[in-house]
Amino acid sequence: MNHAYEIPARGQWLRLWSALSARPLKVLAEGLAERYAAEDLTLPQSGLGLLPLCDSALGDTYYLGELPLAQAHVRLHTEDGQTVEGAATLMDDRAGLARALAILDGVLAARLPGHDQAAQLLAEGAAVVAEQTRQRQALLAATRVDFSLLGSAGEDDDE
Amino acid sequence: MGYVAIKGGGRAIAGTEAALESLRCAEGEAGTPLSLDAIEQQLRLLTSRVVSEGGLYHPRLAALAIKQMQGDTLEAAFALRAYRSTKPRLLDLPLQETGPMRLIRRISSAFKDIPGGQMLGPTTDYALRLMRLDLADESPEAFRAVSRRFLDGVDEATLPDSFPKVVDALRHEGLLLPLERNATTAFDITRDPLVFPVPRSAALATMARAETGSLLAIAYSNMRGYGDVHPTIAELRVGYLPVMLPHPVSGEPVEIGEVLITECEVVAMYEAQEDASVEGDGTENQTSPPTFTLGYGACFGHNETKAISMAILDRALQKGMRDGPSNPSEDPEFVLLHIDGVDSMGFASHYKMPHYVTFQSDMDRLRTTRDKATAAPKPQGDSA
Repeated sequence: MNHAYEIPARGQWLRLWSALSARPLKVLAEGLAERYAAEDLTLPQSGLGLLPLCDSALGDTYYLGELPLAQAHVRLHTEDGQTVEGAATLMDDRAGLARALAILDGVLAARLPGHDQAAQLLAEGAAVVAEQTRQRQALLAATRVDFSLLGSAGEDDDE
Repeated sequence: MGYVAIKGGGRAIAGTEAALESLRCAEGEAGTPLSLDAIEQQLRLLTSRVVSEGGLYHPRLAALAIKQMQGDTLEAAFALRAYRSTKPRLLDLPLQETGPMRLIRRISSAFKDIPGGQMLGPTTDYALRLMRLDLADESPEAFRAVSRRFLDGVDEATLPDSFPKVVDALRHEGLLLPLERNATTAFDITRDPLVFPVPRSAALATMARAETGSLLAIAYSNMRGYGDVHPTIAELRVGYLPVMLPHPVSGEPVEIGEVLITECEVVAMYEAQEDASVEGDGTENQTSPPTFTLGYGACFGHNETKAISMAILDRALQKGMRDGPSNPSEDPEFVLLHIDGVDSMGFASHYKMPHYVTFQSDMDRLRTTRDKATAAPKPQGDSA
């Protein structure tokens, strides 16, 4: 299938899907779960993860704090007897959402029939992320500063 | 609870919940409930404070806690900690680096020109502290137009996703010691008690979720004279850290979300570094050229005062751990055991609980002491 939207690397899929509301993701995943007889390899669950950071002053590792996590790992069965796996761990409380994204992940990774709808949701998520990026960059662009020392340049404030 | 040797009061305690709730909703028919979105967005710094002091990056629940606790940051952080204690730990994430942070602000007070440039971002640093009376009667239309007008007024700019660190430039010049990764497992303050001496990772983790005012107060004591850190901010960054995790199937790194953090590196006074090598006669240590020393602070959310205070205290504690403390801010036990908001608030609040038995005992002892003093024979010679 010829996509107008180039599918990004798998490492970005969760970020893009997570930018959307859960409803369209779950609706699509429910249909695909039925079509491919989704089987849980691990029970979808939610909990916490501990976030280790590298201190950039002395190089020590320390824990900044905890994050909510939801994770799921599924196996999908195709009509010709093949199996593919999908998985998702995301910063969220909703194990059901993690399962939905794991199903989309498996379908899109194997380019199974129905993956174009998952790719379409990626494109919609990418648009949301692009707008978010634009807003953040505006915060930087509007406040870029070029301080000069008194006496070392013209002292008119003509920035 | 040895202090609370009482029973009864159940109806009154239930009544307190209703009384508290009635005040939250006291506007009655004229009121509108606060939405969590409004708290998270419009009171973003308050939300930042609670995620930071709660030690759990969950802005949505932090907003809920703020609403439930009617703006009490200590109680909101307590609620967030209580929530986290009910959740299982699914995994320890792999080590994350702050280099790829998607910044919304970066400044340096050490250099006016830094690689990538300084961006003041959303800050009140240069604002006059004058009341904006127009906000008192802000219309929804005016409110909604602000963000759109701001974005329309900014030239489209293509900026990099992340920026180099100022301390890396100082390292490149040899003015700082090279960064050496310490692969030691970090101390988990959520699982292990602080038994002194503690490693620096325990100090950093404790300060990262400390109460902002407590951290500031002790750092301020160092700044004012009970210490000698004399910091200069090499870099203060606020931005979103992408959290990466290997994909369970493919193994490739996956971004599972992002975390707003504030990070600060302060440069402190320089000092000579002792070499491990020994001179030919076997008696004297050589010293390397002096380099600046560094302090480091980071926390969840947009909390600049907290990150700066933490960086100053980190430097002070490094000195105290090495040479022994010469003031309170260099004493790990003093600092780390007195900066947690939930701990300290809990201790202060427990005094409100009934202490009838212990205080009765205090009164009995006082009466006994007084009786003994009255009954005791007067010293001889005291004829007055």
